[in-house]
Amino acid sequence: MKTKEKSLAVGIGAAAILSVFLIWYFAASYTKVSLFFPTPQKVFSRFAESLSVPIGKYTLQMHVLYSLKRVFVGFGLSSVTGIILGVAMGYSKTVNAIVRPIFNIIRPIPGLAWIPLAILWFGIGETTKYFIIFMGGFANIVLNSYDGTNKVDQTLVGAAELLGANKFQIFVNIILPSATPYIFAGLQVSLSTSWMAVLAAEMISSYEGAGWIINMGMNTGDTVLILVGMISIAIIGFALANIMRVLERRLCSWTVRGK
Amino acid sequence: MDEKRVKVEVKELTKAFGDLLVLDNISFDVYDGEFLCIVGPTGCGKTTFLNSLTKVYDINKGSIQVDGEDIHPKKHNLAYIFQEYSTMEWLNIQENVEFGLKAKKFPPDKLKERSDYVIRMVGLDKYRNYYPSQLSASMLQRVVIARAFAIEPDLLLMDEPYGQLDLTLKYKLEDELLKMWKEIRTTVLFITHNIEEAVYLSDRIIVLTNKPTHIKTEIINDLPRPRKVSDPEFVALRNQVTDLIKWW
Repeated sequence: MKTKEKSLAVGIGAAAILSVFLIWYFAASYTKVSLFFPTPQKVFSRFAESLSVPIGKYTLQMHVLYSLKRVFVGFGLSSVTGIILGVAMGYSKTVNAIVRPIFNIIRPIPGLAWIPLAILWFGIGETTKYFIIFMGGFANIVLNSYDGTNKVDQTLVGAAELLGANKFQIFVNIILPSATPYIFAGLQVSLSTSWMAVLAAEMISSYEGAGWIINMGMNTGDTVLILVGMISIAIIGFALANIMRVLERRLCSWTVRGK
Repeated sequence: MDEKRVKVEVKELTKAFGDLLVLDNISFDVYDGEFLCIVGPTGCGKTTFLNSLTKVYDINKGSIQVDGEDIHPKKHNLAYIFQEYSTMEWLNIQENVEFGLKAKKFPPDKLKERSDYVIRMVGLDKYRNYYPSQLSASMLQRVVIARAFAIEPDLLLMDEPYGQLDLTLKYKLEDELLKMWKEIRTTVLFITHNIEEAVYLSDRIIVLTNKPTHIKTEIINDLPRPRKVSDPEFVALRNQVTDLIKWW
């Protein structure tokens, strides 16, 4: 029954995607939409061509690799610091009391609002891009790590204490595993905001990357190029989200077992 | 009972939350290896009483001693079984049972032997590699019981552990609990509001009053085991306790 349901969901999903392409095809081929929206054939043949013919200095896959590198650095830094800070806030009331007010002020500021300051502080080099990506994902990771640590089942903590577990054992064996699904939820959201942030960063100042491709397309009025950039972003974003989901299933396998 | 050694000595235990006096001067002994049931109405402070024993709450007056020393979760070998299933979802059944043993630095070479033994006793040998999310409610409660008995606690505290289960499961688990208790002979302090359960399980029953809670009476339960709820002696004792506490 489960396999049947799964196959049905995949089938419906595939049909939905196919419908979008068909609507796109007919709209771009037989209506006035074709004036500002290219056909799927044009976009996909350009996409394939870009894998061997450079756009600017690099081929499409090299541009994507540049973007990926930036995301990995910025997202990696925001993940490590965000998890440490969030867990510390959830675990220690003192840390929470100190950090929370400052964090609450910074949290509502969107990552992209840091761009002007980042340019003034770090120039237009890679550091600025890393910083923008970092700020784009940081708040979500902190909040989710905090929630996960703070919402740990006190019955479990009490049971572990009575069974003789010390604070370190409770932290490692109870608090961290309880918080892991929350942390992963934060990482998932943060990964997509980081991906958004890298595009914004590359559109501002860059000579390579998926964001640069879109910007280049906009500056030259080349809608095909814009769509090539957008599709590459969609493919990588989809792949990253799925990799994250696989990792989550492995590390938080108890959340899916028996369900 | 006279020849028995006192394991736990509770003297003048008093606990208040602000102006609200919850436990009022409670004194009693628990004997080594005894199965003591404490019955009382809902909200009379039974859980407060257990939390005072385990030092979750500071008490206002009195003392609780185990083997002549002030009770302390770090010093004494205590286990607590809650009404909720306190299994760790991320550990399989074997790892859950071994948790307390590892925390108490049980010799690693004997760890598996010990956990296998208690898992077998609760009838979960086929499920040792399963995870809590794959088990039923009664199985989860068995895991918690196995985990508690694995460390051979000086004192096992149970706070209405079968309150959420249906009757059939409850009877089954009560029998398993008695089997484990007979085998390991730990001292059990079992809190319940179910009089039949108390008569079925206990060596002795302490009846608490409503707040401010004090001991209303104490009944020795020397009915032979295995007990049958339909036996006239069983029914008579159950009625005796019921009559005593009819008007909480």
